[in-house]
Amino acid sequence: MSDITVTKGAPARFRATTEESPLARWAMIAAAVLGLGILVFAPLIAVFVEALAQGVAASLASLATRDAQEAIKLTLTIAAISVPLNAIFGVAAAWFITKFDFRGKAFLITLIDLPFSVSPVVAGLCIVLMFGTNSFVGGWLVANGYPIVFAMPGIILATMFVTFPFVARELIPVMIEQGRAEEEAALTLGASGWRTFWTVTIPNIRWALLYGVLLCNARAMGEFGAVAVVSGKIRGQTATMPTTIEMLYQEYLSVAAFSLAAVLALLALVTLLLKTALEIRHADQLAATHRH
Amino acid sequence: MGRPLIHRSPMPGLGLSMGITLTMLSLVVLLPIGALLLKGANYGLAGIWETVNRERVWAALFLSFRLSLFAALFNLVFGVLLAWVLVRYRFPGRRILDAAVDLPFALPTAVAGISLTALYAPNGFFGQLAGEIGWKIAYTQWGIFIALVFVGLPFVTRTVQPVVEEIEREVEEASATLGASRFHTIRHVILPMLTPAALTGFALALARAVGEYGSVIFIAGNIPLVTEIAPLLIIIQLEEFNYDAAAAIGIAMLLISFAMLLVINLIQVWSRRRIGYV
Repeated sequence: MSDITVTKGAPARFRATTEESPLARWAMIAAAVLGLGILVFAPLIAVFVEALAQGVAASLASLATRDAQEAIKLTLTIAAISVPLNAIFGVAAAWFITKFDFRGKAFLITLIDLPFSVSPVVAGLCIVLMFGTNSFVGGWLVANGYPIVFAMPGIILATMFVTFPFVARELIPVMIEQGRAEEEAALTLGASGWRTFWTVTIPNIRWALLYGVLLCNARAMGEFGAVAVVSGKIRGQTATMPTTIEMLYQEYLSVAAFSLAAVLALLALVTLLLKTALEIRHADQLAATHRH
Repeated sequence: MGRPLIHRSPMPGLGLSMGITLTMLSLVVLLPIGALLLKGANYGLAGIWETVNRERVWAALFLSFRLSLFAALFNLVFGVLLAWVLVRYRFPGRRILDAAVDLPFALPTAVAGISLTALYAPNGFFGQLAGEIGWKIAYTQWGIFIALVFVGLPFVTRTVQPVVEEIEREVEEASATLGASRFHTIRHVILPMLTPAALTGFALALARAVGEYGSVIFIAGNIPLVTEIAPLLIIIQLEEFNYDAAAAIGIAMLLISFAMLLVINLIQVWSRRRIGYV
């Protein structure tokens, strides 16, 4: 009889040892919700609350000013130039790294990743030292009428520096996983290199490419540190949306600063929404780990 | 040398893809970093040391590194917890929570900066609450800490999450069958499996925090020796057209970045040897 009572009691205890007790589980969920609520949701909500502090009309009026309009235009232009360039780089680098075997591959990947670990301010500093009027290259360019620093090319370079690894990082793991067999089959059947690329490779990597471009674009439009250093923040000329937000904020024009910030926050939300949709619908065609 | 530099391959596009990769990498990343190092070389080691070895610079470097370390440690613990909760538990709103983890990546740093300041300033929502108990957050080191926790939040979660997904339930069941309590299983079976990924995320969060500028400067107050971060010192030197000093501090920060990159790679080599994957 005593044996039976032991087996009767055992299953309940056994189940409890392969998962946490309900109390521990709910405590952890509560900690996660509370932590994200304070750290992430609160700042997001605060942007919109501050932007609408004096009503929708005041907020919209601040966005209609010339400075705000110029900043939005500049930021869109910068993204429209730097993101496609980085996408081309990302595809080329991923192709070079995954379709060929060469010495120093790991080192090349480390170099491509380098911008992730360099401070944006240091990145901006590097560009100023390279292309500023005091430098050899910069002096010559300015003398010939092509200023880089405190002008659009410098902002584009700074933006490209900080977003440099995004597309390549996304494509490399996906293309390693897919291997070379499909491209080799297409080539054997007589397709040209470009035809193979457009009809075999691109359809295989399009979602990963879109994913990388999405993240690259969000960062490109929002970059602040590197752009603050190289742009000179000249109103109506080299002030991007983030640097204009800083100037408005420091002039205590809170509604104007937060209204512009709200536009960027909406962009971030749309980015996250598209990113989540991609992860749900095309998870099999994206890289397994997403760090950035 | 028996191994060729580049293996022969029937794949097309070697010249084009290599050309684009190396040209753009050089133009956008390597030459500018080279310009910084060259500037440092001209300035000389003695000059760099003279610039860095000042109370204000040491204070800024130490402050940036120390608060980044604290923020990364917080994110290490919270990130592992978050990864566990998001993978293992099912509850309403899990998808939203999962997507929200990436917000610090997507939200521009300047936006995060002014928003956190609005929340934690003495008249802000959290600032008022903290003020009731005499706790000042914005314009103190606490403010910097919170901004750095914000920017580093996604790293640990995103590196640990795939590893939690990979854990086979059989391992936990085996541990339980052998009589281990749940706590014992977590402590001795699960956490060791998560350690390499968690450390990688920790190092990434740390590297990001040390160089962070946009989200910190608004909430920091920027008082020399107290709440002045290292990247701000570079900006101040640049605004005074003091390029040598800016380069010297920039090189010091670059060295810290390189050191951390090395640590990240060592962790990955170590974990690959230990458990076969990262």
